[in-house]
Order: sequence, then structure tokens, then C-alpha cells
Amino acid sequence: MRVERILVNAGKTLAVLLLLVWSLFPIVFIITSSFKPGREIFAVPPQWFFAPTFDHYITLWQRWAVFFHGLLNSTIVTIGAAALAVMASTCAGYVYSRYSSRWLGASLLSLIAIRLIPPIVVTLPLFPIVNNLGLADTHFILSVLYATFFVSLGTVLMRTFIDQIPRELDEAASMDGATLPVVLWRIIMPLAAPGIIAVAVFVVVFAWNEFLFAFIFTSTKAKTAPLVISEMIGSIEGVDWGVLFAASTIQLLPVLIFVMLMNRYLVAGLTAGATKG
Amino acid sequence: MKTSRIWQMVPLLAPVQLLLLSVIVIPSVYVIWLSFHTSTFGQSASFVGWGNYVQVLTDPGFHSALWNTVVLVVVAVHLEMLIALGMALLFNSGLWFRRILFVAVLAPYAVSEVVGVAMWRFLFDPDVGPVSNLLAALHLPLLEWSYEPSHAMIMIAILTIWMHLPFTFVIIYAARLALPSDLYEAARIDGATPLQSFYRVTMPLLGPAILVALLFRYIFAFRLFSEVWLLTGGGPARTTEVVAVYLYQEAFTFSAFGPAAATAWIMVIVSMLLASGYIYLLRRQVRNAG
Repeated sequence: MRVERILVNAGKTLAVLLLLVWSLFPIVFIITSSFKPGREIFAVPPQWFFAPTFDHYITLWQRWAVFFHGLLNSTIVTIGAAALAVMASTCAGYVYSRYSSRWLGASLLSLIAIRLIPPIVVTLPLFPIVNNLGLADTHFILSVLYATFFVSLGTVLMRTFIDQIPRELDEAASMDGATLPVVLWRIIMPLAAPGIIAVAVFVVVFAWNEFLFAFIFTSTKAKTAPLVISEMIGSIEGVDWGVLFAASTIQLLPVLIFVMLMNRYLVAGLTAGATKG
Repeated sequence: MKTSRIWQMVPLLAPVQLLLLSVIVIPSVYVIWLSFHTSTFGQSASFVGWGNYVQVLTDPGFHSALWNTVVLVVVAVHLEMLIALGMALLFNSGLWFRRILFVAVLAPYAVSEVVGVAMWRFLFDPDVGPVSNLLAALHLPLLEWSYEPSHAMIMIAILTIWMHLPFTFVIIYAARLALPSDLYEAARIDGATPLQSFYRVTMPLLGPAILVALLFRYIFAFRLFSEVWLLTGGGPARTTEVVAVYLYQEAFTFSAFGPAAATAWIMVIVSMLLASGYIYLLRRQVRNAG
């Protein structure tokens, strides 16, 4: 019995270690490597103790100024997408939570179905239209695209969260003469804050990291950080790994910290979004 | 419901509906029209009936892209589910520092496809990659992903699993946490071994969550684009293309909008078939819960 227990514990410890290496090694590796001087990145076996340097970051600043412009673009697009998705989802989520009818039920299911259409499909017709409207290579079009692919999930999440707010609160406010926008702004939005955060977390992670739409719809002015990194990977004169790792670290760290801090909201959102439909 | 209230709802529903209609629904319907015509930039379209579909469905390039996609979906998604299931049981069996471990396991969710590709390309770089060096030191075969198509597919599968495992794990783990512990108590009192209670209690009760997560991942793996595009570009010689990359090449490299649109509709139809299964399951769950 005791031997068995020791074996089980050893097995579990081994499994946990494997899991940690699998999940974290690639991330920790590129972050530490971005601070390694010159050729130490390629040392065999990998060096974990070294004198950290900012050389690669300085080179990044000097040779890839476009990357920092990309970071700014990513920030603008991400904030725009999150704001749009949160506003639209809260309004729609309120309706789906407070009213019910056959038609509404059907339209909620259609929201979920529409969201499952592959994004690459809509790039085909949108590409010429966006060009003709002069919206190509703008922050606006990326924000709209990113928000659109999350308003379905956002609406479902907001409905779930608004369901938990007692109806009596908004009814009492309406009795006292508050208009619908006031009810939404003063009562629903503050009380549904965890839902709003959950929706925002999803949109922020998606918009900050997205590649396909940025690749197709931007060229210079609104080019996002992931797109600049993809150019570093594909550069003809061979990859400068140190600089690539520095750029990757800068792109990754903010969203990594964000996800770790917000993991509760993320989990609540994932489970509500995938299983409660 | 009173009509006045319906009119109150319209402005609230409008933003979501407007976004979905203008960005997804109308463009998707327009793709149907495109798929029955030949057109390239700056030329007027002419009707060709099923011509584009015939062309795509008889193109060996499409067959290989479809085959690659199906293999990736079947192998990667199921492998991912097995690992996620194992992880959920491991986490549920009582671990030290469970909270911290959970956050650590979630980390790849934050990584963009681009940075994910950068990481794994370096790890498996045939000359300088640490994993390649390790494999060489252990006299194990290397992944020659840059020129050997089957190895490239393995790379893509590893990358896809790495990026999406947190999602699948969270769904399964949350479902496992929701199972009442007195069921296990009862099974234990009735003399069930841990293995028996896994097969007779855990699996049947987790079934719906597993199905939902699987369908969800099928739908998302079927549209796989960035990982393949950034890792191999569909090469060498278009051998590692998946359906989305095939579509991209037809449209944006060869300006063959008709065949690209036909490919797009094939993707929509497959996604919708999977989605209807997903929605059917959701509705059944909602009914059972209510």
C-alpha cells in the first residue's frame, strides 16, 4: 500500500513536470534568449546563467523601427475592437436576457451559427469592397473585423451575466423614470462588470495576436505587431534570432501577464461560452 | 410582448446584427454568387454554373489540401483531447500548488500564432534548435520539417496542439469539477476500482462536454491557416497546404476568385454541418438542464 502510494505520487510528479516543461519551456526559452549576448543563444546545451544584455533590443530599435509602430497600431486596434465588442454585446445581451420569444431564441442560435463561418471565407468579397471604400490599411477596419467575430460569444456571455442581475433593479429604475440607456449605463454595466471583463479579455487576446486579417487588410499604415514579426521570420537574409526573440518577448509579455491575471474571467468565459451557448 | 417593447429592443440589437450582417452574412452570400462566376480583378464576371466547383473538386491540389486538413483535424484534435482529459484527471486527483499550475498550463493561450511559430521553428531548427540538438544527442531521428512534408505536418500538429490545449483542457476540467463527488463515494462503497469508476462514472458524465469541445475544435482546426502559412507557407511544392491555405493561394496568389469562392463555400458547408451538430448538442443540454 505504501509502495503503491509512493509510485503514484512519483508518477504524478513526473506528469506535472512534463506538463510544466511542455507549457512553459518554449515561452521561458525565447524570453531568456532575448537577453543572451550574441552567439550564446545557440550554445549547446542551452545556457541558463549568463550576463544579460539589451543588445538585441537595441538592434531591434535601430533596424526595425516599424515594429514599434506596429505595437502602437496593435494597441489602437485592440482598444477599438474591445470597446466596440463590449458595447454591442452588452446591448444585445441585455435584450436576450430580459425578453424572450421564439424569434429571439432562433436569432440567438443564428448568432452562434454565423460566428462559426471561417474568417478566411469573408476575406474574399471584403477585400475588393474594403479597397473601394478606402478602408484598406486602416485601424477602423481591423477593429470592426475583430469585434464582429467576437460579438456572438460576447452576446451569449453578457446574457449569462445579466441573467444574474435581478430584473427588479432595472424595473424599479424605469419606474423612477430612467430611460433605457440610463438603465444600461448606470445599473446593468456596473453590475455586469465581470461579464464585461470576460468579453474584453477574449477580444483583447484575439485582436492583439491576430494574423490573418492583419495580413490581408493592412500593408503599411495600420500594420500590426504580429505582422512585423512574421516579416522577421520570413526575411530573406536569414532569421536574426536574437532580434526576433526580442520582438516576440515585447509582443508576448503584456498579453501573457494579462491572461495570467485575468485567468478567472477567461475560464468563466470559456466554460459559459462553449457549453451554455 | 407589447409592440412598443419590441421597438425598444431594435436599437439595442442593431449593433450586433449590423456587424454580423455586413461583415459575415452578406459577404458569405456574395461568395455564393462569386462561386458560380469567373472573375479576376478588373474584369467583368461571367456565369459558369458549377464549373468552379468541378474545377476545385477535380484539382489534385485541392485533394491533397483536403487530405492534409482532415488528417490534421483527426490526429491533432483527438490527441489534444486525450492529453486534456489526462490533465483534467491529474488536476482533479489533488495536486500541490494547483492554482499556480493551472495558470502555468494556461500560458500558451496568450501566445500569438506568429510568436508560436517563431518559438517552435527555433526549437526544431535543424542546425541550432535545442530540441533538434537533444534528439541528435540521444541518437533519435530529427524532424526535417523544412523539406520533408510528413515531418512538416508533424510540426504543424505539435504547434496546433500546443496552442489550443489550454482551451480544451479548461472545458474538460470545468466539466470534471462540476461532477458531484458523492457519485464517486457511492461507486467506491459499491466496491468499484478507480479504473471502473473512470469508465462507468467519469466518462459517461463527461461525454457531452467532450463532444462539445471536440466539435468546437473540429470547426476551428478545419479553418487552420496561420500556423501552416507561417511555418511552411504550404510548401515544399504545395505539399503541406491545408484547405484555408489553398483558398488563399487561389484568391490572392493566382487571382482565381471563382475557384477560391467555390473552395470557400465548401468550407462553409463543412463548418455548418459541424456547427449544426454542435448546436444540436447545446440545445439538448439546455433542455436537459432546464
